[in-house]
Amino acid sequence: MNKFHFDRKHLTIPYLLYLAVFVVVPLLVVIYYGFTDSEGHISFTNFVAFFCNTKTMGTLLYSLVLAIIVTIICLLLAYPVAYILAKGEYSRKHSFLMVFVLPMWINFTLRVTALKEILTLLEGNLAFHPFLNTVIGMVYDFLPFMIMPLYNALTKLDNSMIEASRDLGANGRQTFLKVILPLSVPGIISGITMVFLPAMTNYVVLDMVYNSTYIMGSLIGSYFSSYDWNNGSLISAVLLILIGLFTILTNRMAGDKDSRERGRV
Amino acid sequence: MRRRLIAFLLILTLVLGCASMTGCGKEGADSSDVVVLRISNWEEYIDLGEWDEEEDLIDLEDGTEILGVNAMYEDFEEWYYDTYGIEVRIEYSTFGTNEELYNQMTIGDVYDLACPSEYMIMKMMREDMLVPYSENFRDVEDENNYYERGLSPYIRSVYDTLNIDGQTLSEYASGYMWGTYGIVYNPELVDEEDASSWNILLSDKYNKQITIKDSVRECLFSALAMVYYDDITDEEFVSSDDYQERLSDYLNRTDKESVDAVEEMLSRVKDNVYSFETDAGKADMVTGKVLANAQWSGDAVYTMDQADEDGIELCYAAPDEGTNLWFDGWVMLKKGISQDLRKQHAAEAFVNYVSMPENAIRNMYYIGYTSVISGGDSNLIFQYIDWCYGAEEEDEEEAEESEEDTEDVADDAEDAAEASDDAADSDVDDSDSVDAEDAGDAGDDADSVDAEEAEDEEEELVEYKIGYFFDMDDPDADDEYCIITTIDQTKRQLYAQYPPKAVVDRSVVMRCFDNEGNDRVNRMWTNVRCFDLMSLFR
Repeated sequence: MNKFHFDRKHLTIPYLLYLAVFVVVPLLVVIYYGFTDSEGHISFTNFVAFFCNTKTMGTLLYSLVLAIIVTIICLLLAYPVAYILAKGEYSRKHSFLMVFVLPMWINFTLRVTALKEILTLLEGNLAFHPFLNTVIGMVYDFLPFMIMPLYNALTKLDNSMIEASRDLGANGRQTFLKVILPLSVPGIISGITMVFLPAMTNYVVLDMVYNSTYIMGSLIGSYFSSYDWNNGSLISAVLLILIGLFTILTNRMAGDKDSRERGRV
Repeated sequence: MRRRLIAFLLILTLVLGCASMTGCGKEGADSSDVVVLRISNWEEYIDLGEWDEEEDLIDLEDGTEILGVNAMYEDFEEWYYDTYGIEVRIEYSTFGTNEELYNQMTIGDVYDLACPSEYMIMKMMREDMLVPYSENFRDVEDENNYYERGLSPYIRSVYDTLNIDGQTLSEYASGYMWGTYGIVYNPELVDEEDASSWNILLSDKYNKQITIKDSVRECLFSALAMVYYDDITDEEFVSSDDYQERLSDYLNRTDKESVDAVEEMLSRVKDNVYSFETDAGKADMVTGKVLANAQWSGDAVYTMDQADEDGIELCYAAPDEGTNLWFDGWVMLKKGISQDLRKQHAAEAFVNYVSMPENAIRNMYYIGYTSVISGGDSNLIFQYIDWCYGAEEEDEEEAEESEEDTEDVADDAEDAAEASDDAADSDVDDSDSVDAEDAGDAGDDADSVDAEEAEDEEEELVEYKIGYFFDMDDPDADDEYCIITTIDQTKRQLYAQYPPKAVVDRSVVMRCFDNEGNDRVNRMWTNVRCFDLMSLFR
């Protein structure tokens, strides 16, 4: 008789179960629905319907552009903040970090409602700049998700590296470009992945700042509410593949760059 | 150490297992003698009690006092036991949209009684999901059959004419709330005439000042009315004998040509309006962010009430071209009831309980929508309408308010000068005008009301007839069910809650589309809402 030996690796069983039930199975269901028609026969009609319709492709493009702009602005805003917080001379930097992460403690619909009022004060009528308002709303909402991973990556960065680069004659700009930036790439990547996907799908922000144009998230939602699970699932699957590709791409780019930089140093 | 951990895990499993088993056991024992009724209703769509006795007490003319203390479904449990001697337990849950309810049920949630809208009821009928109401439920002799005895004859006539595959809606559904779809507007900034047409959605004058509901069906309806504006407002068409049928035909079109025209129309509407909104419309009307908002009548009442509290007057208009008549009704679900007669009895009793005139009033007061119950023999409902909107009552209220005001002023020194002037003025004016002019009428209520205001109101008082709702056959019903009210009210809450006959005559129920039509409409909606690539090249 086999005796059960408790091993440390058995501790992963709960998580594996969780993964199987709540991640893998739903994924399979999504893929099943995506490639069947309403009668359950395997078909590619949903696929064709999505890619051969200028309107849905328009939405894909719109969400991509929106997400890219939001991610870039988040990155540009978050990097200096994270750098100052991590490397700056502030003795109580943890309390400063708190100031930037504090908004995350407040319910996000509440935050966007407040933002909406501020924007109304500034612009008067929000309906004239729906795209701009959406960008502002999303940046406001997702900024902490960019700051946190960057801050973590930058605190881990060894100060002696920076000192070494200075000793070897690099000026501030060179130090940043050749040492700090490459070493913080993992933080940048996790920040991007945490902002990019929500920016393509989070339609609550859109609704709240009165943007009536669909993004991918709202498109999926609209299919599900009209009981069209097949088209809805297909678009979810497409989105999943897109995000997957995007992540692989950024990782590969970062990987290449990383090794190249290391080689040079 | 390791052994201890295993022991701990084992104990944990055991404890959990026992707990879940005893849990199941309990439920099993329960269900044998208590009827469990699973009800799914819209959010905030039933009286949940806890009214303030001073502020909310409804005291009607004949001395009836109505106050919601407990949630209505809790009161029902008590009433059912008292009346039938059977214990019932309500499991009450809510949904946000018809589609959500339907999706929940497809996923596997089981309910016995639910309250979807008319088109969803028709869809469920078509898919054979419903249990018809029993003969007993229809028995007018039984005095506990409040629904059958109290249903408005007008609503009954609508229910009887709607049918799916030869079966009328009356067989499978009982009404709960009903209303129209129209436009809430700020009368100071929007002309009544503009608000009385769906074309306001395209008007340059209100560019980016109007919100509409983010709902396919409502948008389709308004757009159809705009597309066929010339046809359906043609005088010959309006005065034709089968006007309503033909109007219904126009506003229920889902053929390709119509849907294409609607798509084009809605794309223009999308560019012209402030936005499509799911829930922000009510608040935005009150804060003044938008000037007009297409809204369901019950929400319109709520919006106007809220604005009144802030001292802003809003009005409601049901457009002239035609308006969408909607109603939500109780249906019993096959999956839930599953031939359990005790359950069906409890479900039908619940419908009767919420249809009791007192309870209908409680619900109306709490949620602001209009009940389908007219009361039958009891005239409580009419008394309630009069209590809410009758002019005399309002004067009394105002008198009370201004009395309170003067008292407040006495305490509060800041505004004293101004207000006491007012009070003094009014007293003087009062006695003058009362003596000089219509002493008889004004004398009753003009003690502390501003004299000028009282005079104005007197000029403005109008008769508002809603006989059709209470009695369709009696030609004199309009005289019996006539409310003396201010001219303001005929454009406001009263108009929204109990529309006049003219509005009802041009209102149309939006039916449940066939699959082909449904697909076409959904595709149209996606196209309207998606980003138009072509706009980049224009």
